[in-house]
Amino acid sequence: MLELKNLHAKVVPEDGPAREILKGLSLTVPAGEVHAIMGPNGAGKSTLSYVLTGKDGYEVTSGEALLEGESLLGMEPEVRAAKGVFLSFQYPMEIAGVPVMTFVRAAMNSQRKRRGEPEVSAPDFLKLSKAAAAKLRIDPDMLKRPLNVGFSGGEKKRLEIYQMLMIEPRFMILDETDSGLDIDALKVVAEGVNALRAPGRGMLVITHYQRLLDHIKPDRVHILSAGRIVKSGGPELAHELEKSGYDQILKSA
Amino acid sequence: MQLLDLPSRRSEAWKWSDLRAAMAGQDDVLIGSGELGGEGPIAALAQIMGDAYGPSALEITAPGETFESRITEGDAGQYGSVIVKAGATATLVERIGVAGSRLRPFLPSFSRITVEPGATLQRIVVQENAVAAGEAHPAIVLNEAVITLGKGSTFRQFVLGEGAKLARIETSVTIEGEGVEVDMKGVYLASAKRHIDLTSRVAHAAPGANVRQLVRGVARKGGRGVFQGKFLVERAGQKTDAAMAHNALLLEEGAEVFAKPELEIYADDVACAHGNTAGQLDEDAVFYLRQRGIPDVEARAMITRAFLIEAIPDWMDETLRANLEARIDAWLGTPA
Repeated sequence: MLELKNLHAKVVPEDGPAREILKGLSLTVPAGEVHAIMGPNGAGKSTLSYVLTGKDGYEVTSGEALLEGESLLGMEPEVRAAKGVFLSFQYPMEIAGVPVMTFVRAAMNSQRKRRGEPEVSAPDFLKLSKAAAAKLRIDPDMLKRPLNVGFSGGEKKRLEIYQMLMIEPRFMILDETDSGLDIDALKVVAEGVNALRAPGRGMLVITHYQRLLDHIKPDRVHILSAGRIVKSGGPELAHELEKSGYDQILKSA
Repeated sequence: MQLLDLPSRRSEAWKWSDLRAAMAGQDDVLIGSGELGGEGPIAALAQIMGDAYGPSALEITAPGETFESRITEGDAGQYGSVIVKAGATATLVERIGVAGSRLRPFLPSFSRITVEPGATLQRIVVQENAVAAGEAHPAIVLNEAVITLGKGSTFRQFVLGEGAKLARIETSVTIEGEGVEVDMKGVYLASAKRHIDLTSRVAHAAPGANVRQLVRGVARKGGRGVFQGKFLVERAGQKTDAAMAHNALLLEEGAEVFAKPELEIYADDVACAHGNTAGQLDEDAVFYLRQRGIPDVEARAMITRAFLIEAIPDWMDETLRANLEARIDAWLGTPA
């Protein structure tokens, strides 16, 4: 479903020299699977999520990123979104003055319009929203407030998953979704994510810790270090990492 | 009144809105006497232009009435006075329309407003500009209100400024009685070849006033926004609680915003604050919206709209609010 072939990318800050972050990253996530990417700080985890979603300031110098055989690189971020790519942000943005529901409905309809599908009707939207909010134990009043403004870290993460449930993407990238969550919230969020597991969907879960992977069980675990996948394995690799740390694993890799 | 009597950028209060230069092409309108008893240039010009009909005077005693005035190209100037009698409540809506015709495109209006003790006045000024964005048009719009507030009165104001070759909406408030409530908000939209200036002054000559001011503005390439706001708290203005905020977004390179927030305080027991920002759209926020599938242009409009609409006050009548939001939407939908 998602194929990354020898991806090289650099970050191009507005003020400062470009730095190469991804240095030949290769990875395949077949449809229906959940893969985890773990790695130390600075390994390139967030860069990978921004390269896949098309953020300005990240430049792919060589390699390929294919979703169902179609190259994502060069597409505008909104086009990638309509193709089904969804990023759950590590730090969701606060958007003052735009209520959550207004925003999500605009997002759904923009994507549908681009795909030539009819808009979601108001009753259907409300029904979907109610179900998603209940699943994530989100207070419905929160959905009328401006997006993320004054929300706690945990509330913001829940709201990312709420958006994911509403938008029903084909390929999901979760960038450190566990950060800022207590154990109870972690369970609720994981349930929401697991509800989206389906044969036609793929998922990349980026995390520092194994904790999240107890709840969202990955099919494969990859270790990213210095811009490349240095080791891959089954779910047991995450446990091994938790026990012996990155240094040990990287030495043996 | 001669062209040379008009303020230019050498005058501190007009340094960013050079009226003399803007009027240079249409000095034929400057007729009549220049003797105008110490009032400012807007009052003088409104009086000269309004001479044909004489000054208007309005006294409001009945509660809850709305009065609407409209001035557009080809009209004479307006010069008048309004008294909101003790305990009365009134809404004044002033519409100033630039339609893009070649009639006399000079629109000065001036009003002297007295809000008596316990009275409430809501004043809404909508300065419209129907000329296509980016197109030059010689219209000059000047509006000034000089307002005195009596004990326990309430004054609320909202101004929408869409700009012109030169447009200035000036408000001068004097708080003469104790315990006054003031809420002044404004939005300006400066597209290419438009100049919009919101200038205000609030003089506190009595204690215990509660004053809130919020102005939000946006400018595109070739557009210029000006905000000048002053709070003067005299010795008599003890226990004043006053806050001023002006925030501007420069939507494109080559957009200009000039701002001068001023506090001048002679009382020692007051809470006064001002905040002033001018910056660009947060690109991380724009990316967030685009990642959710919202096209770039719409994402920018959505964030900008929300930023502006926060300055439309809650007390605004629903119909008028819808009209103002529609004007902002139309402006944002205009291709740069």
